Amino acid sequence: MKKKFNLINPQYAPRSWFVVFNTLFFIFLMAAMIIPIFKIFCDSMVNETVYGLKLIPKGFDPNTGKEVWFNTIAYKRIVTDPGLYKPFLISIYTTIMTTFLGLLISTLGAYVLIQKDMPGVKIFSYMLLFTMIFNGGLIPTFLVMKNIGLLDSLWAVMLPMSMNVYNLVLMRSFFEGIPTSLFEAAEIDGCTPMGIFVKIVLPLSKAALASIGLFFAVAAWSEYFHYVIYIKSSSKYNFQYKLRDLFQDKQESDQGTKINVNTLKSAAVIVSIVPFMFIYPFCQKYFMTGVTMGAVKE
Amino acid sequence: MKKNVFKRFAAMSLAVVMVTGLAGCKFGGGNEADFTLDGGSPDDLPDEISLMADTIITEENGLQDFCDEYERQTGIKLSIEKPDHAKYYEKVTLSFASEEPADIIEMGSTYYPELANSGALWDMTEAWNNTTSNCKNIIDEDYVNALKINGVLYGFPMAAGNGTITYVRDDWMKEAGLSDPKNYEEFIGMLRAFKARGQGTIPLTSSGFLNNGETPYDIYLREFYQDAIPDFYKDEETGKYVDGFAEPAMREAIQRLRDAYQEGLIDAEIVTNKTSTCRDKLGSGLVGAFNYWAGMWSLKLQRSMNEGQLKPIPPIEETGGYTERVPTAFAMAIYAPNKAAIFEHFLMYSHDGGEGQMLFTHGVKDKHYTMNADGSATALPYYSDPDNTVEKSIYAPELTITEWNDPIPLDPMVKSSLEEFRKNRVFAKVPIVRDAIAENLADLNVVKDVVMANAVTGKTSVDEAIEYYNTKGSYYANAILEDLNSEENLKAEEEALAGATGESASDDEAAEE
Amino acid sequence: MANNNDNFDHVIVKKPSVGQRMFKYRYFYLMFIPVAIVLLIFYYWPMLGIRYAFSTFKLKQITLRTGPDYSIGLGNFTRLLSSDPFHAAFKNTIVLSFINLVLAMVCSVAIALLINEIQNAWGKKIVQTVLYLPHFLSWVVAASIFMLILSAGTDATGADTSNTGFINAILLQLGILDKPVDFLTESKAWPTVWYIMNRWKETGWGTIIYLAALSSISPDLYEAAEIDGAGRMKQTWYITIPSIMNTILVVFILNLAKIMNVFESVFVFYNSLVYDVSDVIQTYTYRVGIVGNDYGYSTAIGLFKSVVSLILVSASDIISKKIRGYGIV
Repeated sequence: MKKKFNLINPQYAPRSWFVVFNTLFFIFLMAAMIIPIFKIFCDSMVNETVYGLKLIPKGFDPNTGKEVWFNTIAYKRIVTDPGLYKPFLISIYTTIMTTFLGLLISTLGAYVLIQKDMPGVKIFSYMLLFTMIFNGGLIPTFLVMKNIGLLDSLWAVMLPMSMNVYNLVLMRSFFEGIPTSLFEAAEIDGCTPMGIFVKIVLPLSKAALASIGLFFAVAAWSEYFHYVIYIKSSSKYNFQYKLRDLFQDKQESDQGTKINVNTLKSAAVIVSIVPFMFIYPFCQKYFMTGVTMGAVKE
Repeated sequence: MKKNVFKRFAAMSLAVVMVTGLAGCKFGGGNEADFTLDGGSPDDLPDEISLMADTIITEENGLQDFCDEYERQTGIKLSIEKPDHAKYYEKVTLSFASEEPADIIEMGSTYYPELANSGALWDMTEAWNNTTSNCKNIIDEDYVNALKINGVLYGFPMAAGNGTITYVRDDWMKEAGLSDPKNYEEFIGMLRAFKARGQGTIPLTSSGFLNNGETPYDIYLREFYQDAIPDFYKDEETGKYVDGFAEPAMREAIQRLRDAYQEGLIDAEIVTNKTSTCRDKLGSGLVGAFNYWAGMWSLKLQRSMNEGQLKPIPPIEETGGYTERVPTAFAMAIYAPNKAAIFEHFLMYSHDGGEGQMLFTHGVKDKHYTMNADGSATALPYYSDPDNTVEKSIYAPELTITEWNDPIPLDPMVKSSLEEFRKNRVFAKVPIVRDAIAENLADLNVVKDVVMANAVTGKTSVDEAIEYYNTKGSYYANAILEDLNSEENLKAEEEALAGATGESASDDEAAEE
Repeated sequence: MANNNDNFDHVIVKKPSVGQRMFKYRYFYLMFIPVAIVLLIFYYWPMLGIRYAFSTFKLKQITLRTGPDYSIGLGNFTRLLSSDPFHAAFKNTIVLSFINLVLAMVCSVAIALLINEIQNAWGKKIVQTVLYLPHFLSWVVAASIFMLILSAGTDATGADTSNTGFINAILLQLGILDKPVDFLTESKAWPTVWYIMNRWKETGWGTIIYLAALSSISPDLYEAAEIDGAGRMKQTWYITIPSIMNTILVVFILNLAKIMNVFESVFVFYNSLVYDVSDVIQTYTYRVGIVGNDYGYSTAIGLFKSVVSLILVSASDIISKKIRGYGIV
């Protein structure tokens, strides 16, 4: 199956031309994916209302009156303004907590669900699956939060998110891949179910934990709507909320307008992407494991 | 298969049983935190007051210092919640839905009547009538009356409602040899003269033209609305309510806006302008006239210009005066404890013309302002922005509703724009709110926005736009009219009016003195 | 499964009673408790609140402590069925999500096929990395990016593009537009922009499942076809597409079941000027319930949506069983 690259020889030409066009197509497609983000990155480092076609992070700074490369004034503002860096810390906190709780609940739930002989296990799994297709809705859920006193508490955001049926089912299918003989052997060795869970199931599912953990982390980091509904205090907003707030505020206040509004918005977008950009290349394979696993099982 | 169905049922019923058990305790006994509508004694001080507000000094600029100072002065602990501006209203209603609103809540005129209608706000009429505080002596009662709904006061004004005024480039006027326009014709003439300057001139701009729920609907660009009333109002002759937006007068107003827009007299981006974009345009010296808020903005707008001089002009005769919005109010939640005492020691205290008013207007001494040897004061820079000085802590000084000796003098520009505005202002009425209005008005306003945007920018003809309003809007408008014109409502209004006339007549006299 | 039976031979001989088995699994019940608590509190308890759908329940009922007034019975539903904004929201939900679904399918399948043709392993990896990236941005971020690059800017005449948003600047330079357009407040443009945003964010991610299906096609099939003299196009048409047809259908059905769920991508991207084309059921529920304080009516709309979803899921489940032998849940 050797393919020769030759644009003239009629035997190879059609294929070769195809390869050329395919390559060009993907270069174009990748550009379409990256340029919007890159454009925002550039604008975040130019302290003026410049949009236009400019795709370099260099621009005129009205504060110094000079052309500067990589003007980081907006980033400095984000790092020093408690109204902006506190939400970032909240985001980190809720992401870590949600991921931890999410993994705890998914693994425990999945481990129980694979016990085929356990009385009631079918009922448990129907109870779980039913919530995927039916729920109480916005107002009833709000009123439940009110009744249990979770309003204006970050738990109102983290707890519901930590119970994700899709992720739980995914975890179950990972667990089902573990050979039953291992459980049997451990049981004969006198291991308790908890012991088996900690000593056998978890160590064998590192890939699953990584991929599902990342799903939880991404979802928690991206969460916005729950903050609109449940969180009242401005000290508990996460970064997504703050970012959205920057974009919605019509009456930009006059305090500290040394920074162009669009520059600040762009910088906030970049800041909310950055943590993910760092981990993404390392985690890509786990994401893919998760999705293909889900696809096969679904 | 059958077994599956059975199991599903079993799962459901098990869940329901467990949840009911879980919920039972709560639904049975919970939620009965008692509160009373009785205000109590004004001297029965609470330990702590909570406040939810929007247009106040930010945390980074010393909101906490403000609270500490308030506690030092009155002995009452104050906690302030300042949600984000964009979702402020949602946060307010959600806090009422959760039955844990702050004791005092800042309310814009759009939702003040809505929450009052829901019974969520405390009736402070009596407390206001009985108060012995200095506020009563120095206040301009017009502002308090502007907040009364059928004679009942549910909120106390924070500051004057203010409204928009038209600023023009004085230097351009002089160059063209124009005097202040007296009527619409002269007004358009002035805009044409601006346009004749060429080079991308924007004769008239404004931001917020599409109103996004602000009341009244025609607060911006009054010159074009003239006698049109784009809201529901009571026709004095028939005694019935009509939809002003569907009236011929409104059609003419739309036509006027459209003609001016098509001629290039109004900013092409009038629909999408934000304050910041308008200021950029002003800064680049392109704008001839700018319809925006009176008062502090006159100074801000002037400052964003590199050349030229802005000046406010009097209203043209067709408009019958600029409109003063219903003031933003501090309302009290019915759940608040010691209401009468909070009324005295927070609301009255903040308008006392002395120490309290100073704190609520300029903030904390030596943090937000400093006293000079001659008894006057100077505003200090913001903590976060050394280049600008503190404008206000909570109440805008230029919009004060009391007669008091403000030690920080107002900028003459601010003063003159306000004087110009107040010479011929008309107070807007608190919007009527009934269930039918609460259900439908928001949707109807969206239709209005689309009509205005399409007709004015020429996307559709005026006829098509009116037709659009009639097809898309009539559903809501009819529901509202039906309710407003129901006998039950008209009768209730008459009764309320009869009850309030005696009182308001005397109020009017007092105001005239 | 056969394996399982071997291991459990002794079980088959004499199956322990339910009580014995429950005792054997007692620790597992303990382990399920945290899951059950979260499940019951946050998912099942709210279901009891569905009864509000049959009541008048507004802020007034809360402040006056009267509780929901159930005398209206089905009143909320008759109101809903005769309500213009609800009809519009329902229509928009169907139109937006269905078109988006079809576009998703077409784009993802086409791109998956093309990715599959990339021979260079490194090239393939880079392409995949880049294409998947936008999926991990939140809707808030995606909407923010689009708002910035789509801005109409400050110069309405289009003569000076230095202050115009990126896309408008390009279109002006190419002469496609003569004046900048504010895409997000334009009813005609908004749906297109929304589809593009959705495709930008999700197309790459959508290819994963097809790539997995493509990689499982046996190479023997292609070799046989080549021997028969079938060209590349024919191979794709007669082998590749039929092989992944099942996957395409399943993905389509799964997503069909979810078409009522469209929410956050609209919520962070729409504005009042384009409600007529952008307002979907969930955003409408939000506005009625949270902004309008009409809790009963809002719950009724939510319930209506849930029931429609339930029907769609059941239908999908039946179709799925027909196609691949097992359901979707």
